[in-house]
Amino acid sequence: MSANDLPRGDEEGTPQRNTRERPDDNEHQDHSASLSAYAENHRASLMDSLHRLVSHPFGSFFTCLVMGITLSLPMGLSLLLGNVERLGGSWQRAAQISLFLDLKASEAQGQDLREQIEKMPDVIEAQLISRDDALKELQEQSGLGEALKELPDNPLPAVISVTPKQIDKAQLDALRQRLSELPGVQQAQLDLVWVERLSAILKLGDRFVFGLTLLLVLTLLLVIGNTIRLHIENRRNEIEVIKLVGGTDGYVRRPFLYMGALYGLGAGILSWALLAFGLDWLNSSVVNLAGLYGSDFGLAGVPVDDGLSLTVGAVLLGWIGAWLAVARHLRELAPR
Amino acid sequence: MIRFEQVGKRYSNGHVGLHEISFRVPRGEIMFVTGHSGAGKSTLLRLILAMERPTSGKLLLGGQDVSRISTAQIPFLRRQIGVVFQNHQLLDDRSVFENVALPMQILGLPKADIAYRVEAALDRVNLKEKAEDRPSDLSTGQQQRVGIARAVVHRPALLLADEPTGNLDPRLASEIMSVFEDINRLGTTVLIASHDLALIARMRHRMITLQRGRIIADREENA
Repeated sequence: MSANDLPRGDEEGTPQRNTRERPDDNEHQDHSASLSAYAENHRASLMDSLHRLVSHPFGSFFTCLVMGITLSLPMGLSLLLGNVERLGGSWQRAAQISLFLDLKASEAQGQDLREQIEKMPDVIEAQLISRDDALKELQEQSGLGEALKELPDNPLPAVISVTPKQIDKAQLDALRQRLSELPGVQQAQLDLVWVERLSAILKLGDRFVFGLTLLLVLTLLLVIGNTIRLHIENRRNEIEVIKLVGGTDGYVRRPFLYMGALYGLGAGILSWALLAFGLDWLNSSVVNLAGLYGSDFGLAGVPVDDGLSLTVGAVLLGWIGAWLAVARHLRELAPR
Repeated sequence: MIRFEQVGKRYSNGHVGLHEISFRVPRGEIMFVTGHSGAGKSTLLRLILAMERPTSGKLLLGGQDVSRISTAQIPFLRRQIGVVFQNHQLLDDRSVFENVALPMQILGLPKADIAYRVEAALDRVNLKEKAEDRPSDLSTGQQQRVGIARAVVHRPALLLADEPTGNLDPRLASEIMSVFEDINRLGTTVLIASHDLALIARMRHRMITLQRGRIIADREENA
């Protein structure tokens, strides 16, 4: 071994932050090389994390599965609520305002009024039910068809069914008030009790999904945090060596963050698959049931944008969970 | 290069690791620190590496006050120091090449530079052909040489060695010491903590002797 071949120490003997020695490189090349090395460092961390997950396929899969099931609960509930909403038509329809017109109002006047109402900014649509149609409907639905035919005059007024944009109680009440003041309107009726019930059910559903989401997000953070903690314990020696040879906290943290994100990615994809499979499995029963009621209703699958949001959210959660776990344990990882 | 000015280290349990010691190690020198177990050799090295903080005095490394360095600056300080451990501290799940490359990966050097320098460092310790082996496949002496290659691959200004020959037979121990001398001849300051007085006696270098945290002898050259 030749002494002249050994790596040289710093000529000045003074510690400096940068030990790179490429005297023939210009500054631009140095920046470019640094950037490339930085990217390479990230790539190496990502590949190392991926390799570690793949080298324990069962453990990694079951961790992702637990996370995936946890994620699919609130998302699945939210999708089911969406389907129920679709089944009942729009919620706004349940909050229709019925305008009973003056008996003397002609059908043409009724049409004019309907058009006027439909142009209002807080109205989705307005539908005119003429006096004749109302009578016909009553005859068909009441079972008193023959008796009603004996009446000398049609006693029913024309009705305009107004579908509002909002189902907020105060706004609906204000709209009902404005509509009742229109010329030709005898009475404006709104089933506010039903609207309130409906609104309360919706709020309860939303709140339940929100609470469940929070709870399960916390569970996910704990699951990922605990998993990363075990990885940290297994690599304690390596971390101590890295810190002794000048690795920063960021350098130590990086592979664990990628690991957390990869767990999240796996969980997101599994969750998406579970939801798609679950909804498809339920759908055959729902289609059968709906068919018995003469409906062609079927459950919608997982929309692509919802699936993507779920996956991205899972990756972020994995990353955050890993960050929290490493931040908590980094202090204990000082070289001994 | 290294300056201890009345540096003391007292632990929270009352034990005194070092009693206000002072000494200087000029740039490019090779120096031994010796003494029995518990004399304070490891404490001294740990203070230089900022693994511990002195409770009194001032520790200067190349003009930088290590005793007051911020936590964020510690990794950058350690990048200027190469460390050789008695138990090698090699990572068994990585190859010899990857172990030696570690300090330069941390520095963020380009892949080509890393490959060039690692090969050169392994060649210098006669282990180039073992680059793809796992450390556990090597003998104790070879493992220690890998440890030395890792310690010098990034061309540190200072090389610290904590009982580097503790697990080696006399022949291997002499060989390892020769490697340190070669590194020192190229300008790297070398500080070796060892209790192997017989080995140190055969080498003509400065030696300070610690006893219960105090310097009891500082010989410029032990003959």
